[in-house]
Amino acid sequence: MKKHTTDMWKIIHIPDKLPIPPNQQPTVNVLASVIDPKHANTLIRRLNQIAPLKNVCHVKRIRKKHLEGGKTQLSVILCLASEDNSLLNSLPQDVQELSDSYQLSPFVTKVCKYAATSKEEWEEQCKLWPTSYHPPTYNIDGITGFSEEDSLSILSFMKVAIELAKSGDGLIVNAAVIVDPSVQQIITNGCDQIFSWHAPMNKTCIRNDCIEQSTNLDSHQSNGVASTVTEVLPNASPSEPESLSCAVSCLNPWKWSEQQSDTANSYYCHPLRHAAIVAIESSADRDRRLFPDLGDAEEKSFETSQSSHVVAMVKRQKTSVANVEKKEADPPNMPSNSVPERPYLCTGCDIYLVWEPCIMCAMALVHQRIRRIFYAFPNPNNGALGSLHRLQGEKSLNHHYAVFRICVPEEALDIAGNRKSC
Amino acid sequence: MDSHVEEGCSSETLTFMELAIEQAKDALNSLEVPVGCVIAEDGKVIASGRNRTTETRNGGVIPKKKKKRVDVIWTRIGDCISIKALKTSNLPSLYSWTLIVVGTSLNFLWQATRHAEMEAIDALLEQWQKSGLSVSEVAEKFSACSLYVTCEPCIMCAAALSILGIKEVYYGCANDKFGGCGSILSLHSSSSKLPKSGNIAQRKDFKCTGGIMALEAVSLLRRFYEQGNPNGRGMCWFISITSTLYEDLEAKLSG
Ligand SMILES: [Zn+2]
Ligand SMILES: [Zn+2]
Repeated sequence: MKKHTTDMWKIIHIPDKLPIPPNQQPTVNVLASVIDPKHANTLIRRLNQIAPLKNVCHVKRIRKKHLEGGKTQLSVILCLASEDNSLLNSLPQDVQELSDSYQLSPFVTKVCKYAATSKEEWEEQCKLWPTSYHPPTYNIDGITGFSEEDSLSILSFMKVAIELAKSGDGLIVNAAVIVDPSVQQIITNGCDQIFSWHAPMNKTCIRNDCIEQSTNLDSHQSNGVASTVTEVLPNASPSEPESLSCAVSCLNPWKWSEQQSDTANSYYCHPLRHAAIVAIESSADRDRRLFPDLGDAEEKSFETSQSSHVVAMVKRQKTSVANVEKKEADPPNMPSNSVPERPYLCTGCDIYLVWEPCIMCAMALVHQRIRRIFYAFPNPNNGALGSLHRLQGEKSLNHHYAVFRICVPEEALDIAGNRKSC
Repeated sequence: MDSHVEEGCSSETLTFMELAIEQAKDALNSLEVPVGCVIAEDGKVIASGRNRTTETRNGGVIPKKKKKRVDVIWTRIGDCISIKALKTSNLPSLYSWTLIVVGTSLNFLWQATRHAEMEAIDALLEQWQKSGLSVSEVAEKFSACSLYVTCEPCIMCAAALSILGIKEVYYGCANDKFGGCGSILSLHSSSSKLPKSGNIAQRKDFKCTGGIMALEAVSLLRRFYEQGNPNGRGMCWFISITSTLYEDLEAKLSG
């Protein structure tokens, strides 16, 4: 790859809500009044008690306006006004009393309904009425920007995903790479497997291969992927590089049913095995393998009543118990110290997808508690992270991930110089 | 006909939903979120499934039958329970057997995506693969299938059912947090959000009816959540020890 192309690999945060033009932010009406500066403190203290600015905490109570001739004018928000009713006699009783005793003259004005999410929004808000602005301090790294080092590692993982996406013979599919960012290691990966040459009986074999492969990746860090993608569409012939086709499941999840097949039995069809789903399954299998259930070991003690064996069991058990004692309520650890904590789903992990996932995949990633999603190419018709839906902003869900797009030059998908079009 | 028949519901619908409830009960007994489903074609159940987020499947690392699950709940790590109290009979009498809880959270979430619907779909696809159906036959089959599930399909499952082109879905209670058939998103009807595009394959809608035996479905879920934090419940690990070892261990555990 040419050096200059690296500059194009920019990472953009895809926010929870559709960005609105700063000058079109929703507003609410409030009742305000010009006040005598010497009463400001008293009035504000009193108003905060009797009419707190609920739900609009970002709005400042007081506004200072510079008038001509160097004079300043102070205004204060008395209370929220009802949307349909701009009548001044709608003041709550104690606010009314306060207004009367200080001889205020309330007027209706607009303030921005939601806190600003960017500096641009904030500047626009203050034209109506001053608000406070806190640059986002999410607990998910990256939303406020990535360090040079983080960016480089993010880009390298995306490159692994892209290589995986084009590793099928003459076919571009979606690919997913799940990474544990705390140790900068690839945990597992997956490609679209809607059609595969393997019968379901061999499915376990495929998965085992996958596991072996991910183990290699673990031990050799992340320097490239030596993946063999076994699944290809029946009509894509590897011998004809010209017939390159794009079979990204998430781009059109309904397309599977249109697949022409003349050799019904030679491959396995599973319309839901999109790359993200395959990767989730593979990571779960990996966890089960690395952290086998205690039930397994327990069984052995039942099967053999050889005393030596039993004693050995107990000895192992004792170390186990000791470990557990230290860790209190945590799940029991493996005997070896080198084995990491048993993971809870994909908590703390990132996923790299070449294409923005469809809604099924995006929701599966919510269920599996992925922390961050990085994708390279948007999915205009079926994307669930900003294109058609915006699942990261769905407040009712019990888990939210942060979503980033990595702007990747299109040439990245070229296979041996063949220009692709999807 | 039964007096419980809900308005506009055929007895067939109720029969299938009862079978789905049975699946949910099976999930509850395995300490899973109790949601179950069946898939029917031509008035016959052809597949069933229930939540399986904590178990290995397809004979993975731990064959199901090998699991010795003892429903001693609310035990804490290190608790020792006399085996006799558990009425476990098939133990060699050579040793005194003691059960030591070495860990809770053994009902560990592996794959939170193994919902009842996904289990049933996978079973069906495998079945059809074995009988040698072609892709178009598989698509045709799905378009003749009805799914009965005790709880509204979540966003993921609703999307999956649409991708497969299922004919119709009947569900019990609504899913206020994740529902993909009306509660949060409406993935069963694409009319609201449909970008028209040239040669793109047609998005598939399915008919969706909720509220079938919803009370039964909800009461199962309530039972599950009222039992407390499911992750706090332990499966126990048997070990065999001699009495001296036992005393030794007991001392260790209490000290
Ligand atoms: Zn997808
Ligand atoms: Zn679901």
